[in-house]
Amino acid sequence: MPDFPHHQSAHCESGVAANLLTHRGIKISEAMAFGIGGGLFFGYLPFIRINGLPLVTYRAAAGHILRQIASIPGVRLYQKKFRNREEAMAELDMALASSIPVGLQTGVFWLPYFPKAMRFHFNAHNLVVYGKEGNEYLISDPVFPNPVRCPADDLARARFASGALAPKGKMYYFTALPAKLEHGPLIVRGIQSVCRLMLDTPIPLIGVRGMRFLARRLSKWPRRLGRERADLHLGHVVRMQEEIGTGGGGFRFMYAAFLQESAEIMQEELLHDCSASLTTAGDTWREFAAMAARVCKGRARPDDTYAAMAGSIDRCADLEKKIFIALKQWAKRQA
Amino acid sequence: MTTADHPLDEDITEGQKIVSYSVNRQGEYELVPEFIWQPVNVVNHQAWREIEKKIARSRQKILAGQVSCLHYYMTANQMDPALLAQYTGQSRWKVLMHLVPFIFKRLSLDTLRSYAQLFRISVDDLSKGRLEPPVYNRK
Repeated sequence: MPDFPHHQSAHCESGVAANLLTHRGIKISEAMAFGIGGGLFFGYLPFIRINGLPLVTYRAAAGHILRQIASIPGVRLYQKKFRNREEAMAELDMALASSIPVGLQTGVFWLPYFPKAMRFHFNAHNLVVYGKEGNEYLISDPVFPNPVRCPADDLARARFASGALAPKGKMYYFTALPAKLEHGPLIVRGIQSVCRLMLDTPIPLIGVRGMRFLARRLSKWPRRLGRERADLHLGHVVRMQEEIGTGGGGFRFMYAAFLQESAEIMQEELLHDCSASLTTAGDTWREFAAMAARVCKGRARPDDTYAAMAGSIDRCADLEKKIFIALKQWAKRQA
Repeated sequence: MTTADHPLDEDITEGQKIVSYSVNRQGEYELVPEFIWQPVNVVNHQAWREIEKKIARSRQKILAGQVSCLHYYMTANQMDPALLAQYTGQSRWKVLMHLVPFIFKRLSLDTLRSYAQLFRISVDDLSKGRLEPPVYNRK
């Protein structure tokens, strides 16, 4: 049976990136891949609707991490999208025949090994196929504890899922890699790109300003939408923040882990401090989520109000603003 | 939030552990396998309750003869006419027409077959109006 270093991860894209790199002899943690890929983000885009609910995202757009990693000098990532299902499966089989593990973007709705409760039409999932036995593919899906199997027909459907972010059979693998990754400059670059998105955007819907925007809107939901719709909106925000694939606290804990690892590598006390503050921010996001869950369940305590939840998000914005200003100045000094 | 908040709720990961980042006693981050955080279960259940409500409404509409059984399959598989149109390679208005019972009864075998294939049911299920469970609820 083909061998692939399956390490369970908190997020699919950074997990796939880390596993593929590790397979090629470049040992890297998931958090590090997430950090140098500039994976952290915030955006509240109410004009984009998912099942009729506004888009909230705590991470960079699908494919961003891989793109960032592919742009590292010396790294070459082969990527291909397809129009035709048979062609896409044939090319996958060919790569597997020459024992290349292949990364795929898929939808999760058609994947039979997913728990029933997670099977929504979400199309930006990533996984690695590392072998085929009979009519079944051997899959290292980074959010699962162990490798899984998936029948060919289901995988083909998942690769050609329709709707928002349709994967169009996207497959990828590394064709060239440097002998060793120089972490220092990549860490600085990754931090810079996140700081830019979090602080210096002209659009008031993303970054720290996006958080304040969400807080403002959220406090008005019960009045504007009525109780039931407001609770649905709230639950949706929490799902985007905490559901599987986020590592908890809307990816803040994962990024804090990255900052901590970077602090060790670069011997930099400031990164340690930023990591600790980001943990506090993540905890504050979780406070909000816990409160929101109580409200959604109809078990609100007296002080669980929409105003109080907006207050939590504002506190997150304050915390994160301080963190990213400090990181931005640090990154500037490194250049 | 205590884990014993609502023990009857089924865990959304079906007992599989996921990994999350948490700080240990030395203040270092670790990737630890654990069961899903309880509030996540709560909001996931909320989302499913909403889907189930939609399915129930769809069943009622079919019984009342307002929509064809295609409406049930679309709703149960969490689709809307736009998504169903993309999956079957038709325009949205065609799908909307097919939701009308009168038109649905006169659909060609080919069209029925493409719907049946997508929802993994038989053409017979569709033409007889049998309501089978959605794709994710079957073994």
